Amino acid sequence: MLRKNPTLRHVLGRAGWYFVTFLVAVAVNFFLPRLGDANPIDAIMARGGAMDSVSAREKEDAYLREFGLAQTDSNGKVVRSADGKPVKTGLASQFVNYVEMSLSGDLGTSILQYPKPVMDIILDAIPWTICLQLPTIILGWLFGNLLGALAAYKRGVFDRVLYPLALLASAIPAFCVGILLVYGLGIKHQWFPAVGGYDPSTTPELSGAFLSSAAYHYVMPFLSIFLIVVGGQSIGMRSMVIYELGTDYVKYAKLLGMKESKILLYTFRNAMLPQLTGLALAIGAMVGGALITEIIFSYPGLGMAILTAIQGNDYPVITGCTLLLSITVLVANFSVDVLLGLLDPRIRAAQAAEAN
Amino acid sequence: MTEHLKFEATHISRVFGHGKKAVTAVDDVSFAIKDREIISLVGQSGCGKTVLAKMLLRLEQPTRGELLFNGKPITATGDPRNHWRQVQAVFQDPFSCFNQFFTIRNQLKASFRLFEKKPSPAEIEERVDQALLAVNIKPREIDGKFPFELSGGQMQRMLLARIFILKPQVLIADEPTSMVDACSRASILDYLMKLKEELSMTIVFVTHDIGLAYYVSDSIYIMHKGKIVEQGPPDDVTQRPQSDVTKRLLEDIPDVHREWIPREAAVAAAR
Amino acid sequence: MTAPALPVQAPVPGPAPKPAAGKVVLEVEDLRVHYLTRFGAKIQAVDGVTFSLKQGEILGIAGESGCGKTTLVSGCMGLYIPPLYHTSGDVRIDGQSIVGMTPEQNRKEVLGRKIAMIPQGALNSLNPTRKIKDMATDMILSHDESADKKTINDRLRERFSRIGLDAQKVLNSYPVELPAGTKQRCVIGISTLLNPKVVVADEPTSALDVSTQKSVIRLLFELMNQEIISSMLFITHELPLLRHVSSSIAVMYAGEFVEYGSTEQVIFDGRQPYSRALMGSMLSTEPGQKSRKPVAIEGAPPKLDKPIPGCRFAERCPVAQPDCRSTDQVLRVVGGRQVRCKYADTDLVKQVGGTV
Repeated sequence: MLRKNPTLRHVLGRAGWYFVTFLVAVAVNFFLPRLGDANPIDAIMARGGAMDSVSAREKEDAYLREFGLAQTDSNGKVVRSADGKPVKTGLASQFVNYVEMSLSGDLGTSILQYPKPVMDIILDAIPWTICLQLPTIILGWLFGNLLGALAAYKRGVFDRVLYPLALLASAIPAFCVGILLVYGLGIKHQWFPAVGGYDPSTTPELSGAFLSSAAYHYVMPFLSIFLIVVGGQSIGMRSMVIYELGTDYVKYAKLLGMKESKILLYTFRNAMLPQLTGLALAIGAMVGGALITEIIFSYPGLGMAILTAIQGNDYPVITGCTLLLSITVLVANFSVDVLLGLLDPRIRAAQAAEAN
Repeated sequence: MTEHLKFEATHISRVFGHGKKAVTAVDDVSFAIKDREIISLVGQSGCGKTVLAKMLLRLEQPTRGELLFNGKPITATGDPRNHWRQVQAVFQDPFSCFNQFFTIRNQLKASFRLFEKKPSPAEIEERVDQALLAVNIKPREIDGKFPFELSGGQMQRMLLARIFILKPQVLIADEPTSMVDACSRASILDYLMKLKEELSMTIVFVTHDIGLAYYVSDSIYIMHKGKIVEQGPPDDVTQRPQSDVTKRLLEDIPDVHREWIPREAAVAAAR
Repeated sequence: MTAPALPVQAPVPGPAPKPAAGKVVLEVEDLRVHYLTRFGAKIQAVDGVTFSLKQGEILGIAGESGCGKTTLVSGCMGLYIPPLYHTSGDVRIDGQSIVGMTPEQNRKEVLGRKIAMIPQGALNSLNPTRKIKDMATDMILSHDESADKKTINDRLRERFSRIGLDAQKVLNSYPVELPAGTKQRCVIGISTLLNPKVVVADEPTSALDVSTQKSVIRLLFELMNQEIISSMLFITHELPLLRHVSSSIAVMYAGEFVEYGSTEQVIFDGRQPYSRALMGSMLSTEPGQKSRKPVAIEGAPPKLDKPIPGCRFAERCPVAQPDCRSTDQVLRVVGGRQVRCKYADTDLVKQVGGTV
């Protein structure tokens, strides 16, 4: 079957490579935050207030065992060196432990919000991030492509106004747009709330009051991501459509007397294909730029969760979140890879040639 | 004897890909190119002539066999740039060989960067002028002009002007006339002969048109499916062709002096 | 395949193939076409061209790049895309004038239906993401919205089999899946779907090697024999090629016809220095031809942004006389063909190009 279906063969081959990339990402995610010298247990202990040394010692031991940070002897007691400091577990054995637990769906326990499981923290945050980012990026992508195609087709005044604006929007760093919006619309004019995902007087539930306050808080973070995506995508689409309009097949279609609408459809479709890669990249950029937006607006999503975790050396949460983001980026790229192969006969032919 | 040879190839092949996917572009070819000689590689598209030319330029390595340049293995010069100081090339599309955003004159001046010792600015100007005159272009005519302002034929002459500046030992000319109007082709070939005469250059001319090869070369190699199927002086190859490939190539030229496509076809069509 | 021995013979002028006495299908009368540069300068790219094309006739139009051939073609098709504009003159196809039509009317009634183009870059002229069948269908639907799917399919299958293709397979392929020769046939097939009166072949072979060139010309002849193509304008910069292709030749220079006569007259007995120079620049592999030195025409055609007094070729003419630059040249009949040269009937022009 594989022999007969080069596309499937190609997809499986790609899947293999994406899996290898995933493993590398897991390893990097794990080791990077642990390369520092900070001791998260100290942070928890400090929050616990004054305690007598014996109960403090017991509590510390419990944490160390739970997070697998220190070596234990056969009785399960934490091994300590001569000066009373616990002997750290090697990174390698921590990693093995981590992979084993992750595979069973257990991302560990948060250090900072002990004893909340990392999974719960992520599950709390992720609906906010998905609801903010996904529609915004997809809408921005669609709108940006339409705008870019229109600018390329109409040229003239429309293009001359739109193009510099789009350039500006895509060139400003995400946090700048966010901060400008917070200042302009949130603080100066107070049209929209500057921080948070909903009114603190409501609780997250399926009530009218909560939903309307969430929608109200949605506007500014939405705008700040939307503008940037529209700017970037429309510039890409504009130059793609200009390129397509100059190709031989468009000239030929004109000479054949084909309808203008048909020719436009041709160019739009063909220009969209590379833009799909742009979509995957935009989803990837969500990790960086768009998470910063969450932080600026104190939006209760994954970005905030990561920020809090980084500030408190909350390794399990950091690793859990970044793992999730890596998976998102990989899945987005993989889907576009497969989709392009299905939509573009040129890529399909290249895949077939590669497989033969 | 070998010291008179510019290039010497013994049983060289170039294979792309591996196993079942392998494509043999150049298949067990041997030849010797003498100093101060214009040789032509002639064949249809896909016959391997360009790949062979790229091997001479050190842009491709032979998969098998030995390729000598000046009696030493072609890789003996180490850094490929040392090779390119001695072996230069002109290609089909002269526009893609120049940067659209700089004036032609500035780009010609930039060729001096390839020299190990850069001449003085005044000398550079003078040598650019000389090179332009060598290809029959008044230096003032192209002052301040950009590539898109010139025709294909003029741009091809700019490429040749670069060769007059660089004065390499060998020039590889890959289809230099294909983007040039029919009426300027002869002049491009004349400049190739001038390079050979005046600068003692060895020239490898790659073309699909045996007519052009006949006009310009001292020796013609006919290539087909990666092999050299016939080689000899132009008069022998064109007047007494041995190989069917050569006969076919000759026949396919629409020469005004003989039938090309049987006239009945055209006349019947006109009915 | 064994090739027959090379026919070695003296030049055979032979009688010109009698132009068919069919009815006139294309009449161009004193056509003038200009375009505007970015700085508003008016370039008169076609300046008073008159000719007619009969049913079954192939007219060759020769000249180097920049002499106005391609602009003339646009004019003949009524395809004026800014900055190209019609100045004056008339073009009639089948007795009906196409001048003054709206672009939409021209697209629907003229392009592809009355006059069709076989483009230069045939290999890139097909939309890469559309099956041959779909592009051909788009072409028919653009001219006849009421055509139903079945009629179109039958028509495509019949036509593609007639031009020697495996219709079923080819129609369901994407361009990338087809070899170059087949793509070329597809382009010719699509161009002639609506049985246009006139086919314009714009340098159809200039990017091809000699063997492929021969097979394309053979295909065009074959289609004329099958009456799929009825009459043709063949545009080229290789005057010698026309010896085998056309029954009459017009040599164009600086927007004007400089010589217009039968193929034998222009090729073997040119009376205009430019057409003689074009012949004189050609190379030949025939015995005895190596001693004849080809002479390239130096320089480039004039820019035409301002009127040129006198003969437009005088600047590059090897036998230009002092009065050539002052007196305007008119087309007049010399030796049975139209020539634009004051000295056409003297021995002076015979010094150009030598004997071929």
